[in-house]
Amino acid sequence: MNETRIFPSPAQVKNALNGQQYIASDEIATTVFLTAQLGKPLLCEGPAGVGKTELAKSIAGATGRELIRLQCYEGLDETKALYEWEYAKQLLYTQLLRDKLQDTLASANTLAQAADRLAQEEDVFFSMRFLLQRPLLKAILNDTPTVLLIDEIDRADAEFEAFLLEVLSDFQVTVPELGTLAAVHRPIVLLTSNNTRELSEALKRRCLYLFIGYPTVEQEMAVVHLKVPELAPKLAQQAVELVHRLRGLDLRKSPSISETLDWAKSLVALNAKQLDRETLENTLSVLLKHESDLQKVKRRIDVTEKGPRLEDDDRSSRWRN
Amino acid sequence: MDERMIRFISALRAGGVRISLAESADAFQAVDMLGVEERERFRLSLRATLVKDAASLPTFDELFPLFFDSADAQEPMFDATQEMSPEEAQMLAQMLRQFGEQLRKMMERLLRGEQLNQQELDQLAEMAGLNRAQDMQYRDWYAQRMMRALRFKEVQEALREIMALLAKMGMSKQRLDQMQQLIQANQKALQEQVNRFAGQKIAENMSEAEPDDANLDDLMNRPFRALSDREMDVLRKEVRRLANRLRSRIALRQKRAKSGQLDAKATLRANLKHAGVPIEIKHRDHRIKPKLVVICDISTSMRHCSELMLSLVYALQDLVTKTHAFAFIDHLEFISPDFAGKEANAAIDAVLQRMPPGYYSTDLGYALNQFSGQFLDTVDQRTTFILVGDGRNNYNDPALDAFQKLARRSRRMIWINPEPPMLWGSGDSDMLQYAPLCNNVVMASTLGELAEAVDQLLSQP
Repeated sequence: MNETRIFPSPAQVKNALNGQQYIASDEIATTVFLTAQLGKPLLCEGPAGVGKTELAKSIAGATGRELIRLQCYEGLDETKALYEWEYAKQLLYTQLLRDKLQDTLASANTLAQAADRLAQEEDVFFSMRFLLQRPLLKAILNDTPTVLLIDEIDRADAEFEAFLLEVLSDFQVTVPELGTLAAVHRPIVLLTSNNTRELSEALKRRCLYLFIGYPTVEQEMAVVHLKVPELAPKLAQQAVELVHRLRGLDLRKSPSISETLDWAKSLVALNAKQLDRETLENTLSVLLKHESDLQKVKRRIDVTEKGPRLEDDDRSSRWRN
Repeated sequence: MDERMIRFISALRAGGVRISLAESADAFQAVDMLGVEERERFRLSLRATLVKDAASLPTFDELFPLFFDSADAQEPMFDATQEMSPEEAQMLAQMLRQFGEQLRKMMERLLRGEQLNQQELDQLAEMAGLNRAQDMQYRDWYAQRMMRALRFKEVQEALREIMALLAKMGMSKQRLDQMQQLIQANQKALQEQVNRFAGQKIAENMSEAEPDDANLDDLMNRPFRALSDREMDVLRKEVRRLANRLRSRIALRQKRAKSGQLDAKATLRANLKHAGVPIEIKHRDHRIKPKLVVICDISTSMRHCSELMLSLVYALQDLVTKTHAFAFIDHLEFISPDFAGKEANAAIDAVLQRMPPGYYSTDLGYALNQFSGQFLDTVDQRTTFILVGDGRNNYNDPALDAFQKLARRSRRMIWINPEPPMLWGSGDSDMLQYAPLCNNVVMASTLGELAEAVDQLLSQP
């Protein structure tokens, strides 16, 4: 097991992540530091698109480790997440080795003896050679330390969660034919969740917890500045402020950082000088992904000299009788 | 420090945050690693290890300063009498003499800028009944009560009087303004102190409180109608626990009926043509995944239990991915989007706020017709249709044909009714007409019965 310190202090984490173009708050840096130190998985929650997955990528980049990603979806099971026997390859080998097998069995006098001999050779067919390693096993058996990202765990079924417990608490996997395989290096594990359903207590108990919310205007400005340096600071300021006000509205899908960045990029691509009505009408669809949201915002938006302004939201009119 | 942390953890538990032994051990380990010198770092290491739920973060943020902020973080108080000339001081003393002992003391305190000492605080707490308080919600209320015990209002009044008199007696305007400001600052600081103390005291009480789940069984078997607010709180927690239990049970069931495994028989059969060499591998068929449509009545007649029923709907939506939830009073609203990505209580509040009770009456018939018109595509032979309501239709058209059509289209039609069968058909209840069209009609007027009904429901695929 790898016991060397990965990061000497939270401040170092922050610097290292900054080096990967990821602007980490003190909170993120401290929690990541603890994750690395305590060797526990980190559960990241927060709205979609605030950089949960990006955090894992940046940690991998900062530590120089390989990132192994497991994307969860409904119906994901062990064979897709952990390992699978390669039936086809096993069959092919059986066919090709037929003659050899016959040689081995030829000298056997009785059926029982033949079966015994065959049983002795069984190990050939259930060896690592025929084991198809899926992300979890790959992360555990990798020769070099890795970062394991289990993305959107809330999409997987509850039973998969239960199955993850063994892997996450002991970092070992039991393959019935081979025995228990323990981790060579303990990976840094990140789980992300969009909170579409509640995760089980048992899983939460084994993880550290980090909630990443929407950033403040300053933080978001810094991100935009870092990722889209071509955008003029004044325009960036206006854009970020508008996005923040949009988040205050009652929308079906609030724009997240990734959408802000997309928007910033499209403003650059369109060579926009200011946020006038025309530019807004053309580009708002980058920011808002639902038709009803788009209509709502277009109705409320008001372009003035100082930039776009939003009228206040009145939610009272939704229920009519 | 360790003891303080343990107390903090038990206060968090009392505040409704679930913290296991393993998690508190993690917290100690994290604190060992990062130290306690830097407050922010200390706070973050506790937060990352103890709180695993975005909904519990506010509780943490509220309690943390009460346990770990030192007393000198308090706003400073000033002595307003310090810079007074002897004549001015004399004038003031003369003024003060006309008030009763208690008021005078209090005023002097404000003028000199003295904090309350521990003994005084304890006394106040006694008077305000703070020693039994265990709910952070009432913190402000207790603080107010303590201020009242200090006769704060009267003191303010009296001070204003004195100021006016002093002005008349010829104290300089500048001096008076200065005094006014200092007194105000002192007031604020004192209020702050009392408020802090109230918070700390409640937090301490919380940390000492025994977890009370004594009469849960009793609550489970009481009708929804006869529950107080506090009991509702307990029950809401219980519903969540129940939902979690149900979820793990359904997960277990799916696991036993696991799909995707090698089907030996089918593989043999399929490979007979290859002389028994298994080239084509057959797997067991995937089981049909259940779909749910839930329609919940939240009209006035159901209001007393609609909250619990909605938490049931929420739990179901959490359990079965393909759930469409609706609520109606006089017309139908699609509420699944309200539930998505929200914590149970917030989601239910959102729905109840969106559909407030008012001067319009239940109309299930209209809601059913509306459903047939707009959402019929959500019902197919895999769908279990659940109606939660009392079937009291205000003498409106029950729309039995629409109901029958839905019942025929769906796999199963289940009705959960909080009213006992004796009352069905009485008054404006159309229950007797609906009942024969359903596959199951369950009477659930207590949480126990409700849990049983849901369990039964989940056990039959």
